Amino acid sequence: MENRIKPLEDACKNYEEDLVLYHYAEIGASERAAIEQHLAQCLRCRNFVEDLGRVLPQMAPKPELPQAFWDNYFRETVAKLDDQAARQNWWQRWLAPMNSWLVPTFGTVAIAVFAIALMLQKGDFNVTSETASAQIPAEVLVDSNQLEFFKSMEILESLSTLEEQDSAKPERKTSYIENGPVQVVA
Amino acid sequence: MESSKDLGDEELVTLCQQGQGHYFDVLVRRYMEKAFHIAYDFTRNKETAKDLSQDAFLRAYANIKRFDGRSSFYTWFYRIVVNLCLDHARRSGRVFWESLDKTPEEPGGQRQLVDTQHQPDQEAIAGEASRRANATLESMPNKQRTAFLLRNQEGLPIADIAKVMKTTEGTVRVYLHRAVATLRQSLVEFV
Repeated sequence: MENRIKPLEDACKNYEEDLVLYHYAEIGASERAAIEQHLAQCLRCRNFVEDLGRVLPQMAPKPELPQAFWDNYFRETVAKLDDQAARQNWWQRWLAPMNSWLVPTFGTVAIAVFAIALMLQKGDFNVTSETASAQIPAEVLVDSNQLEFFKSMEILESLSTLEEQDSAKPERKTSYIENGPVQVVA
Repeated sequence: MESSKDLGDEELVTLCQQGQGHYFDVLVRRYMEKAFHIAYDFTRNKETAKDLSQDAFLRAYANIKRFDGRSSFYTWFYRIVVNLCLDHARRSGRVFWESLDKTPEEPGGQRQLVDTQHQPDQEAIAGEASRRANATLESMPNKQRTAFLLRNQEGLPIADIAKVMKTTEGTVRVYLHRAVATLRQSLVEFV
């Protein structure tokens, strides 16, 4: 058997890209002449080009298909095209009566929606609902301790009323002066 | 009188754009093999290649009015085929592999790297080389693979590949060189 497994030699680095293009005949006449001149002197580059010529045409071969396949392919494609055209026509027929007013109507609706959205954003229609507690001023809010306080205030008010009623009677007041209570007789 | 088969691509496209859609059939007949082969190069699966290439015709026909003639019809159409193939590969997450060793369904089908006159061991080597080459192609970046397949398999000139890929000729040359270098390295034992 022919020895097919061998180490691969690289081409000269500054020629490699041009050699690929040379293989594909994608190079200008002047560049071609320069490359051929180099190839005449460089065995590595000659091997590189030879390798490309042997390997690349064998890459990913195409299936060879019979004429029947292509006839069937063509028929199928044309049938699909007809079907697509028929569907397109159905939509066109359906939309045709609306063509005259569809765009203006859509435009009007779009403008109306935009205007409403703008107004809502500016706050003319405040739809955000605040909680009941947020609407009550803080000073009105009382907790249980404050309620107790108000109850005691009522008692004090009652006491002063009682005191006023008793103002006609002699009253004993206690005065705290330095070394203890001193009883003062009014 | 000039037959529709003798009309150029651009004339046929113009007729289609004017509402005479049946002229598109001539373009189908003209490009069906190329379209199928490009799709086959990308997918390595006959049925998928058929579906994708037929889909490319449907899309081309649906968008024929958008074709402005700035490029040739076939580079515009090949771009559709390639995009569909790349999209298919992206969606499926892999490239289908149809074994070259499989007996062809169609009479006369030959999918061997070398002709059947070769010795069995040579065929095995060729088959392995082909499998490795295809595996390398599958793992290659899409742009390198596209440039390589369009040049090596379809024989498109670099100038046309640049139009299909919407890039410069210099960039295509770089893609092509990188693809060939990668493939050559992967086939080091078989060269």
